[in-house]
Amino acid sequence: MRYILLLLSNDVRRRLRSPLAVILMMCIPLVITLIIGLVFGRSGTVELPRIKVLLLDKDQGFFGDFLASGMQQGELAEMIELVPVEEAVGLEMMQKGKASAMIEIPEGFTNDLLDHKQVELRITKNPSEAFLPMIAEEVTRTMALILDGGMRIFAGPVGQIRSILEDGRWPTGMDLQGMLDGARDRLLLVNDYISDSLITYRTEVVSEEEKEEEAGFNVFAYVLPGSMLIGLLFISEIAMRDLLREGRTGTLARLFTTPVEGEHIVTAKILSTFVITAAASVVLLLIGRFGFGIALGRPAPLILQLVGTILMCTGVITFFYGFLRSERAADAVLSVVIIIMCLFGGSMVPIEQMGRTMLRVGRFSPVFWAINGFKRILVEDMGLREIVPNLIVLYSLGIVTILAGAILLKRRVRRGGWSGSA
Amino acid sequence: MIEVKDIRKSFGDVQALKGIGFTVREGEIYGFLGPNGAGKTTAISIISGLLLPDSGSVTIAGMDIRKEGRKIRNILGVIPQEIALYEELTARENLHFWGGLYGLSGRELHDASTQVLEMVGLSERADDPVSQYSGGMKRRINLCIGLIHRPQIILLDEPTLGIDPQARINILGIIKSEVSQGKTVIYTTHYLEEAENLCERIAIIDDGEIKAEGTLGELTQLVGEKDLVTINGTFTSDQARNFLEGVAVDHLEDNMVRVLVSESSAISRLLERFFTAGVSVGEVSIKEPSLESVFIKLTGRELRD
Repeated sequence: MRYILLLLSNDVRRRLRSPLAVILMMCIPLVITLIIGLVFGRSGTVELPRIKVLLLDKDQGFFGDFLASGMQQGELAEMIELVPVEEAVGLEMMQKGKASAMIEIPEGFTNDLLDHKQVELRITKNPSEAFLPMIAEEVTRTMALILDGGMRIFAGPVGQIRSILEDGRWPTGMDLQGMLDGARDRLLLVNDYISDSLITYRTEVVSEEEKEEEAGFNVFAYVLPGSMLIGLLFISEIAMRDLLREGRTGTLARLFTTPVEGEHIVTAKILSTFVITAAASVVLLLIGRFGFGIALGRPAPLILQLVGTILMCTGVITFFYGFLRSERAADAVLSVVIIIMCLFGGSMVPIEQMGRTMLRVGRFSPVFWAINGFKRILVEDMGLREIVPNLIVLYSLGIVTILAGAILLKRRVRRGGWSGSA
Repeated sequence: MIEVKDIRKSFGDVQALKGIGFTVREGEIYGFLGPNGAGKTTAISIISGLLLPDSGSVTIAGMDIRKEGRKIRNILGVIPQEIALYEELTARENLHFWGGLYGLSGRELHDASTQVLEMVGLSERADDPVSQYSGGMKRRINLCIGLIHRPQIILLDEPTLGIDPQARINILGIIKSEVSQGKTVIYTTHYLEEAENLCERIAIIDDGEIKAEGTLGELTQLVGEKDLVTINGTFTSDQARNFLEGVAVDHLEDNMVRVLVSESSAISRLLERFFTAGVSVGEVSIKEPSLESVFIKLTGRELRD
């Protein structure tokens, strides 16, 4: 035991002295998580930039103003940045792609509406943008529909507006009062149809902090397990590769000149792989918690799932190293093995989105059971009972591959430990 | 102290050792002299327990290497040919780790590492990472690791390979000092002067076999009091044979002949026969009785070949 502890502490100390490779491997899952999280937003919805819409108002009348001010109310104002422009400036800006769309209110728009003539709003869209001009178009269409509906329902009061406007003035509060009284009578007639709706809803706004806790879905929690598994497998690989590196540099051979036996060396190397992978996984989860606001769920299932995952990573890598003779072989084989395991296990694309066949195939990848368990804990806040199948697979596989790998490595280390020439 | 009997070792089709045997007495420096690929490292690896022989036996301090390997390794200090250190760690950390594997701990470990660091003159750099050391400094730390647990038997595999003269003198001085304290040393080298100056007995090894063994005096006796003369030129072996009557021929081939002569006049008489016959002679070299001439006589080539 003393030899194993000495060898283990030496491995960990050396890794701490040159941590670059492990840090780089830890950056992979963090960067993937960050990018995907930023693309889809913290809650998993896309946050669009404010849509810049140019307004060319050739009418300068009451309804043109009505339309423009309607687009700058409430949530529309947060979505749309309406910029009044002259025609020449507006066209130039559109040609340079400096806005998503331009709405042109034609001359005589107000008068034509009051005369119940058909009017046309012109929308020019920026062809280099896909979604934003469509949103601007939809908003304009909605505003036009509202205006159109209003004109039909309130034809009488609107007639009064016309006479006021023709007097060369804008409606006063008193004018509007009169018109609203008229509108009220019309509304009372349809009261039975529009009052006391059987279905109601209530919107509550909670504080940002509460929202984070109660949101229940954090896209980072959905992405991190998959990307973390890629990183952890490569970190285990780096830790175990140290055995071959020691073979190359001669320290492994030198260990055999001391009272240390092969089983001490192999056991210590497996333990150091486990410890280094464990340390990296804890750091990744802590960054997930404090950097990405991921709720880590209940402690017991999380710890058991974490240990199972680390066992699995250590075991799988140990097993493969039992067959590999050189660092070059490790480069060629293990990168491919890890990528395939992660691909089929759902590290890169969520397995649920890969179809039924892939879901079946994915279950043969140990990575699937690791990711699935973490998602149940981090995303769905499930307990121990719900992750029992995951734990059974991870622990069984981990223990079996570690034992098999240890036996294979013991033979490899005995034979290949000394690289001295004749 | 060390008894090696008829050990053989093959790597695939290559026979690295073809049945070598020798005995090393307690407190003695025993040298293995041979060119690269002669089998020196394989022999050292077997003695230190790194490799098992295909046949034969090795007994150290009365213990069989196959049966009591761990006990033997506790009293052995092995300094491998390649520099086997953890470069990320400092010299002191390296020493603490390797010393710990030999059972040293606490104060004893600290004192032992301080002592060996002073011995090689690296106390002031003890806390620098080994990666920042020069090749010579690494060689010295490589030596320290083999000595930190004060082993009774020290196996050194070309410890001065590729280092500057000053570091070499330092290392050779340390080895002499260890021997003066009663340690037993096996020293492999392909530097003739090291073997001549350091070793009490020398085994000349080539092609997996010990060609000769003994003290320097005993070995030079093999060529007697004669000079070894090598003549290179443009001639066939049949042509040369006509000129070699009455001369002790050591080796003869086309364009080269090596002879043993006891007096310088014999050399001029021999050369005169070549010149008279109109044979072109390019180079003549004369070696007085030495380890080198012994080596050449035994192996048919110079060490640098």
